[in-house]
Parts: sequence; C-alpha cells; structure tokens
Amino acid sequence: MTTDWHLDPGLIEQYETGALEPSRIMAVEAHLLACADCRALIPADDAWLADSWSAVYDDIHAPPVSPIQRLLARAGLPEHRFRLLTATPALRWSWLLATAAVLMLAVAAARFSGDGTLLIGQAFLMAAPILPVTAVSGAYGPPADPMHEITGTTPAAGPALVLWRAVSVIGVAVLMATVAAVLLPGPGWYAAAWLLPALLLCTGTLALATVVSLPTAAAVLGGLWVTGVLAAVGTSQEQVVASMFGPTAQLAYLLSAALAAAVLILRRRRFDLGESR
Amino acid sequence: MRRRRQRPIPPVSEQSSDAELLQAIAAGQTAALRLLHHRHAGWLRARLRRRCSDPDAVDAAIQDTFVAVWKDSHRYEETTADAAAWLWTIAVRRLLSTLRGPAHRWLSGPTDEIPDTATTPSAEELVLLGVEHGALGPALDRLSPELRRLIEATALDGLSVREAAKLLGIAEGTAKTRLMRARTRLRELLT
Repeated sequence: MTTDWHLDPGLIEQYETGALEPSRIMAVEAHLLACADCRALIPADDAWLADSWSAVYDDIHAPPVSPIQRLLARAGLPEHRFRLLTATPALRWSWLLATAAVLMLAVAAARFSGDGTLLIGQAFLMAAPILPVTAVSGAYGPPADPMHEITGTTPAAGPALVLWRAVSVIGVAVLMATVAAVLLPGPGWYAAAWLLPALLLCTGTLALATVVSLPTAAAVLGGLWVTGVLAAVGTSQEQVVASMFGPTAQLAYLLSAALAAAVLILRRRRFDLGESR
Repeated sequence: MRRRRQRPIPPVSEQSSDAELLQAIAAGQTAALRLLHHRHAGWLRARLRRRCSDPDAVDAAIQDTFVAVWKDSHRYEETTADAAAWLWTIAVRRLLSTLRGPAHRWLSGPTDEIPDTATTPSAEELVLLGVEHGALGPALDRLSPELRRLIEATALDGLSVREAAKLLGIAEGTAKTRLMRARTRLRELLT
C-alpha cells in the first residue's frame, strides 16, 4: 500500500492544531495508518512519553487481583474497603489460626471421646457465642493493632472502621463456627442455636462500647455469658440447654439484640475505642 | 499462561519491525513493549485527541491500550493484520470505554474488547488514501459536520454504528439515520 505523497512537518502541525479542512484530515489519518515513516514524523513530547510508559509499566507489574477480592468486588465491595480490611495480614492470620485451632480441637474431642459426646456438644454450644465477641474486641484499638497509632490519625479511623473490621471478623468467625457446629454430634438444631446469642453478644458489646472501652465491654459481656452458663450448669444438663437455647430464650436474644443495635445507632457518636484521650 | 515458544525470540532493537516486537511481547519481553510504546504512542495520541478533547481520557486510553497489548499480544496475527491498524482499533475502543465512565474500567477487564478478527484496510480507507486528488475531498468538505463525523467514525476509525454513536454522544437510531443521510448526500455530491 503506497501512495505518491507524504506528510511534511507543516501539514502535521496543521493537523495537530486542527487547521486543516476535514477531507484532508481524513486523508492524513488514512495515510498515517499506511505509512510508518510518516507516523515517526509526528513529534512526541518526551516527558509525556516517559510518564505514559511508566504508567503502563506500573500497570503490567502490579500484583494480580486475588480470587477472593474479585468475588467480593462482584458482591459490591469497593477496592479501597478491601485494602482496608486486609491491610494487617499478621493480625489476620493469627486470629484466623487461633479460631480454627479452637474449633478443630472441639470437633476432634467430640468425635473421639465416645460417651461424653452430648456433653461436649453442649459445651461447644455455650462457648461458641464468645468467639465472635473476642474477634470484635480485637478488631480495633491499642492492644491488638500494632498500626493503631498511625490508623488513629487518619480520617477513616473511628466507629466506621470498627464496624467494618467487626463485620469482617464476625463474618469469618461465624462461618468457621458454623462449619464446626455442623460437624459436631448432637441434635441437628445445635448447629444454629448459638447464632442468636452470638448476635446479641456482638451488638451488645458494640453498644456497651459507647459507655466503656471496647475491650472492657467485650470482657464484661463475655464474662456475664460465661458466668451465666457456669451457674446454670450447676443444675441439670437437659434443663440448661432447653432453657438457654429454647424458643422463648431465642426470641429474647433477638429482641435484646435489636435493642442493642438501636442503642448503638443512637449513641454512635460516643463510641469509646479504648484510646487514651 | 505464557505460550510455549516454538523458536527462540531474537533480541529486539530500534530496527525491529512491529510484528517482531509483538512476537517478543508475547514471549514476555518488557523491552519490546517499551519500544512499541515509544514508536506508536505519539501518533495514537495525536489522532485520539482529534476524537476527544479531554487529555486525561486520551492518556488513560493510551495506557490501557498498551496494557491490553501486553496481555493479548498473542492474538495479533501477523499475516492478516497491520500492527498500526490493530493498535488503532484497540486504542479507539479503549477511549470509548474510558468515556463510558470510570466505574466501567474497574468492573470489566480489558480483554473483552480486543478484536479477534483481522484488521484489513476498509474500502473507504483505500479511497481516502487518494482523497488528495479525487472528487471525494471537496465532497467531504461540503458535508455538514455532524454527518462527516459519523462517516469519519465508521469508515475511518473502524467503529460499528453503535460504537460511533457512543463516541459522538448520540442515540444509536440517530446515528443510523445520519449515516444514511450522509451516504445519500455524498452520492449526490459525487455525481
């Protein structure tokens, strides 16, 4: 494909400034596609070229997007939130491993101990609601987060960050505990019975954190739950499970959780994150 | 997911042809992509700027183009397509998707828009190569601007009517009517 004319610098300048008549612009563009020599004549701004190239270079060397992030992005989670939630990998792995280990021990004990299976199943039922609360209390603040000082100075710090982290850790903890609960022997409804108490303890902890600090709130509510369970265990086993996880109790848990959520929403500006002020 | 190499890729230099560069890019040589970028970014930018007045959008489109080339260079077929025309079809479509809004660029990967088909010069392009001398030049000049831009987008840029409508910011139906009117008018002017 050859033509009998070529571009000259004057024509190129007219093309770039838009001073040519339309048909000649079209002719120039058609010729550019066909003629490599004329393409090379178009003056390139060196600084711009370097900038553009470094952007391309950065892009092709960027770390690949993980499948989990792609899944969450599909579900509507923006990229910056994902960065925020995964910014502390050391922290994440430690509690993830801890939760997994505890749950696996519970399951293993129940599977291999023969007679006491029902007992261990019930013990699991009572201990399971505590897990998400521990996760929430460790989600933010000086004791758990080594980056806390730096995070605290950013506009993103505060209740919003606590809730984002709490939601992410609760999500994972609940998922893992559900798997463990399904693996456990015992009546089928055991697998779901601990979910509402867990919900109450989590929202309760967050609501209480508007009065005292977050770790304190978690300790108080977790302690109350454990004390209540231990006191009830003094009486007969069957009654404990029936009274603490029966329909009436579940309804009470749900209502209290709703109440705690309402308190949390009303008092969200007084959130105490355990920071020294 | 690199392809196995059939034969060793020779080192690339300033004198390598576009096809050799694309071969080296398919084999994972960043240096080849750099040469290709430096060779083609300039004229792509000049031409895209005549389509879009927003310099940031043009720059983003050019960056997207070369990222897409890096990922999909194996889809370039040396025998059927001219490298420059191939690059232009990618670039003008990247510009379109940039103009469609920033959200689009995050949600969909760039891979779905690379034309698999060979890019051969259209009949209109061949005619336009001789526009300096024929009767077509004056006829195009006398066409009203909105009709001419549509001819430009479809015949010269290789866009479909739908894509041309997006580029010009008009409805697809309007674009079809205008294109028909443009053709009728050109026929009148040329006879």
